[in-house]
Amino acid sequence: MAITENYLKTTLNNLVLKNPILTASGTFGYANEFDEFINLSKLGAIITKAISLYPRAGNKNIRITETKAGMINSIGLENIGIKRFIDEKVPILKAKNIDYIMNIAGSTIDEYIELGKICQENSIKAIEVNVSCPNVKQGCLEFGVDENSLYELIKAIREEYKGYLIVKLTPNVTRIENLGLAVQKAGADAISAINTLKGMSIKINNQQGKVTKTIIQGGYSGIGIKPVAISCVYRLSQVIDIPIIGIGGIETIDDVLEFFAAGAEAVEIGTANFTHPEISEKLVNELEEYIIKNGYKDLDELKEELRK
Amino acid sequence: MIKKEEKKIYKAKIVKNEQVSKSSFFVEIECDKPVEVKAGQFISIYCEGLTLRRPFSVFSNNNGKIGILVKERGKGTKFIKSLKKDETIDIIGPLGNHFNIENKKSLLVGAGIGVAPISYLKTKLDEKNIENLFLTGFLNKEEIPQNTKSDFICTDDGSFGEKGSVLNYIGVIINEYKPKIIYACGPYIVLKLIAELGERYGIETQVAMEKVMACGIGVCRGCVIDIKKDGKVINATVCKDGPVFKGSEVVWQ
Repeated sequence: MAITENYLKTTLNNLVLKNPILTASGTFGYANEFDEFINLSKLGAIITKAISLYPRAGNKNIRITETKAGMINSIGLENIGIKRFIDEKVPILKAKNIDYIMNIAGSTIDEYIELGKICQENSIKAIEVNVSCPNVKQGCLEFGVDENSLYELIKAIREEYKGYLIVKLTPNVTRIENLGLAVQKAGADAISAINTLKGMSIKINNQQGKVTKTIIQGGYSGIGIKPVAISCVYRLSQVIDIPIIGIGGIETIDDVLEFFAAGAEAVEIGTANFTHPEISEKLVNELEEYIIKNGYKDLDELKEELRK
Repeated sequence: MIKKEEKKIYKAKIVKNEQVSKSSFFVEIECDKPVEVKAGQFISIYCEGLTLRRPFSVFSNNNGKIGILVKERGKGTKFIKSLKKDETIDIIGPLGNHFNIENKKSLLVGAGIGVAPISYLKTKLDEKNIENLFLTGFLNKEEIPQNTKSDFICTDDGSFGEKGSVLNYIGVIINEYKPKIIYACGPYIVLKLIAELGERYGIETQVAMEKVMACGIGVCRGCVIDIKKDGKVINATVCKDGPVFKGSEVVWQ
């Protein structure tokens, strides 16, 4: 185990992770739900389902559909709220020795500030601020697409929360670089990119001339968004100095390496957790094997080589 | 090291894959370790190239050989249909809750491919010598899976058994057979009617629901339905809180 940590140790300025493989918010539950499939303490960190100030019931109607290269979801941030998360889930995470980052989402600036305060009071080590969910009517994306509101929002959270602050960016803008710069200026410690792309699917069923349609609008994720994510990470890495955590369609070790090459310091595995619940632990093992097989000293040396 | 044998992912070998009706086929798989499955539980199968696994209720379980009934619908079921004997697939399971078997005179209702979990339930009831009557309904004769062990079959077009849908017969059968509990799986409209009749006659009902799923383990919240609990309406996942619900707790649309 000690050797593993040496090879894969990932330093994101003042956040040290045992490896760079994280699991993306919304695809991994709150705590130990994937216990049945993998050894959770082997992951760099799990990122919790988005937590709001109060419990949310989420959206009605159809919430998921498969597409040719991924899926569309419209869950609408259903979650148990921060109180229950801290009372019920944090003890499980601690007892099981699972490193975690808490994803938070608000409907108003005040809600985000309150969430930041509660995280500070409860010594939550790291948070990921969700300003990019496309599936809720208020909050989230409306802050996340405008660099000025985003700057104000992150600055306000930063004043309350002194732990490690990651901001998860949306790709649904013309220049993601501007969002990155705003977030960096507001005092964020890191950026994660990307959240889902806005997507829509209309499934048509024609029975002897009578058409019925199944429509879903929501966040598009999975293998199909990888090129968009790689581009966003690369463009961000050209203009900002804080670490970038890459997300979007990762399924294989080659995908992980591609994100490192584009400038990511760590990665989050999302939709692939649904297809292969063991994938994150598998990627930890494969990354270690890759480093050993190719004779690198450690992960940092591999990243350096990939970015030459 | 990780003790893989405790985890719920299995490599399974195809033992049998054969057409059993015009649009359905029976797939039997043998896992790399024994799997215990309760009636109503399901497995989810990874279909090459597809993002979402496909869930299937367990139809039979003979010494670790798990059988499912698959109705050909889209890409996932097409992939499963193409599998040859001895090919290996990746399954997760058993998942979900299960029918809560009670020692009471039981009416079983399986409509269409919904016969799968109900057939498995019937074997469990028979093992326990619980009196039961199995009502099934299909579109037509060609859609009846071979070896369907039903006591009463109806077809929409009357090409086999009684003519009409199960919807036409449930009420009459309840009146005549006087079950103390009803277990059902099938289209939403059938389950809804059974829940209503159960409530009207004061008979407990348990229904196995279906919904498109992503994770299959309750984390993505993609397959929720409304249920009543403690006077409130809350979300329940079909994959983890279900697939089996009491008919009386579901908020029917």
